[in-house]
Amino acid sequence: MSTVAFITARGLFGRRRALLLLPLPLLLIGLAAICRAYDVSPDMWGQAVIVGLGLVVVLPVVALIVGTGVLGSEIDDGTIVHILTKPLARREIILAKYAVAASVTAVVSAVPLFVTGVLAGSVKLGAALAVAAVVGALAYSALFLLFSLVSRRPVLVGLVYILVWEGLLGNFVSGTKNLAIGQYVITIADKIAPTAILESTIGLTTAIVMSAIFTVLGTVAAINRLGSFSLAGETS
Amino acid sequence: MSEAGVIHDIGYQRYEGPRLGRFAMQQALYVHGLRAAFGLGRSAKAKIFPWLVFGIMLLVAVIAAAVRSVIGETILTYTQFTVQMNFLIIFFAAIVAPQLVSRDLRAGTLPLYFSRPLRAADYVIAKYAAMVSAVWLLLGVPQFIMFLGGAFTTKDGFKGVWNELGDLLPGWGFSLLCALMFAGISLLVASLTGKQAFAAGGIVAVFLVTTPIVGVLSSLPSTTANQLAFLASPPFLLIAVGQWMGGDFEIELGRFGPVYGIEAVSLIVACLLILLARYRKVASL
Repeated sequence: MSTVAFITARGLFGRRRALLLLPLPLLLIGLAAICRAYDVSPDMWGQAVIVGLGLVVVLPVVALIVGTGVLGSEIDDGTIVHILTKPLARREIILAKYAVAASVTAVVSAVPLFVTGVLAGSVKLGAALAVAAVVGALAYSALFLLFSLVSRRPVLVGLVYILVWEGLLGNFVSGTKNLAIGQYVITIADKIAPTAILESTIGLTTAIVMSAIFTVLGTVAAINRLGSFSLAGETS
Repeated sequence: MSEAGVIHDIGYQRYEGPRLGRFAMQQALYVHGLRAAFGLGRSAKAKIFPWLVFGIMLLVAVIAAAVRSVIGETILTYTQFTVQMNFLIIFFAAIVAPQLVSRDLRAGTLPLYFSRPLRAADYVIAKYAAMVSAVWLLLGVPQFIMFLGGAFTTKDGFKGVWNELGDLLPGWGFSLLCALMFAGISLLVASLTGKQAFAAGGIVAVFLVTTPIVGVLSSLPSTTANQLAFLASPPFLLIAVGQWMGGDFEIELGRFGPVYGIEAVSLIVACLLILLARYRKVASL
């Protein structure tokens, strides 16, 4: 199991690929630092940087790239065969890959969000954002891992989820808010450190329970899918 | 038994027919690219996402045209349509650009292409033209439907149709500008990786990440920063150029209008030049 995790991590970070994940967090911290340096009140920029960039873009996009990268790219390459033919339970494969995806996403998004939160307000806000980002990373990773087993084009499905479900519909149809991971993240951060920057729309219990459901159901469904996974040839 | 060392004539022949040359190759690549953008000539799975986006755009256009013919008021002008459909264009770019360039990298077809008289510039131009056409069709066809809706319900006879056409043409021009910009940036991002998944994620990241920067700059307490804020993000740059060109987007540019025009042009040119530079060497991937 640890070998699978190791290979996955190497596939994710091998060569210069790790550098691809760097610009997003750096941009987040950079923007916050610029605003801080010019002494702009956090009420003015906090919303745009923390919510508009950090929680709505950086966290889901990093989770998407990493979450679909751990499994989707192996299915794409056909190298998944090598792991599937080893005497390992499918459960272990999924859990190892999920652990890598979730922890990488958590680190890449929680650290810059913590720094941004500290710059925008207090250590408390930073910690709240970091905790929320970790919860978000767990839920998003499970979802995107599942996507890469459901479809041959997991990134596009994930983009539909981020852009259409959370982006477009989330603004117009309030009912989808209860089913959007982004809202759970905002709610959790807001309840831990209430500020004017974050605006939670759903209850804390709902947020925690629903994130847990997303995480568990996503992983279980992924294990189930991989259990009956059939290798298709090169599709168009 | 024949003697050793005889070379038998087994009928190999040289090709004597006409050779079509670079232009024909470019054209073939362009047509292939445009078809691939919409998944034509490929499996049903490849058609799902492009036609999903196209369908939503058409639906919006039909609704806009219908509402207009019923209540007689324009709820969505041609340029506003392009701006409002921003997310979908980004999504479409993330679908099409990796199809056009990342697949070639992945499948290793580039050395085959370039072992022909085809130059890197031909390849880049053909792919860019295909992508621009695809994005423009994505916007232009719905706009044309809106035009038909407006033209058939006009009460001023031929003059009304003429006025409507006068609105449509700048709208098409704006869509073309949009297509040029989105195609340049997304092809550039996609050409950096052979993995379609990474390319799609990267394209969306570039467009989405730059948007909040505009929000931050707009909130700074300096008028100059506010008026220059839209430089930071391609979708907003597009809106700003439209405003400078005489559009009606209710944003304040001050005296910086020309700056936006210059940036838009240099952004497109820069993307193309970097693309050309990127394809000077294709073996080292």
